[in-house]
Amino acid sequence: MSLTIDHLDWIGRLDSTVSEVFEMMLARSCAPTESANAPAQPVSARIQFSGAIAGEFVLFASRPVAQITAEALLGSVSDPNDPMVEDAMGELCNMIAGGWKTKLEAEAAACAISPPMISNPESIGTLSNDGFGRFYSFEGNVFGVQMIF
Amino acid sequence: MRALIIDDSAVMRKVVERALQQSGIDLTEVVQAANGEEALEALKADAASPEKLRLIVSDINMPVMDGLQFLEARRDQNLAPGVPVVMITTEGSEPVVLRAIAAGAKGYICKPFTPEQVKARVVPLLEAV
Repeated sequence: MSLTIDHLDWIGRLDSTVSEVFEMMLARSCAPTESANAPAQPVSARIQFSGAIAGEFVLFASRPVAQITAEALLGSVSDPNDPMVEDAMGELCNMIAGGWKTKLEAEAAACAISPPMISNPESIGTLSNDGFGRFYSFEGNVFGVQMIF
Repeated sequence: MRALIIDDSAVMRKVVERALQQSGIDLTEVVQAANGEEALEALKADAASPEKLRLIVSDINMPVMDGLQFLEARRDQNLAPGVPVVMITTEGSEPVVLRAIAAGAKGYICKPFTPEQVKARVVPLLEAV
């Protein structure tokens, strides 16, 4: 699927949202990174969009990166198997998806989002072609975001 | 003071609690609810508590009963009518904000947020009660 002008605009708004969420909630700088290896046994959080935009918004990271992210959000150390790690990924997905939706033009923003769902797939391949996606990095920790239509 | 924090994410309940403390609010107890239904039960139980709740902070996008449904049920059942409710949510669209205000929300904060934003919106509400 080729990217439209709308998609390119949406990617810019996604970059801005991710940066804001990390600055405000995790006190970390976070920026897009060009390429990354897909994580093995990732933790993924998914949010369904319905309405003007229909699709699935996915945030995924390796478990170690998910744990570091949870610790940054909570401000305390966690265990890798602590359910708070997955909860944190869900909430991060919720904030990025919701923040991104808020930045869209009114016509596109006329959509509802579901609460986040967590899954632990065996793997997530390269970013899906049915939509758009980006890898981001904070302090060398890489995670992915994709919007699948 | 006692506060009720409503969010389906335990992580976010902790983050909100920390932001309230960073705002200088002296929390003696935080009652937690994972959705609007649990929150309504907490408000019913609060009626019998010697120390009443003084603040309610709620998310909107939750399973079982969302934050807007909670606000409307609380208003209809006249539960804790004088306690200010502040919404902290990713849902920032105008129709949703207006519906929340119409149902009794006194403050509205969009995620992501800073502790300074929480302080600016919550502290004046507590001082006004």
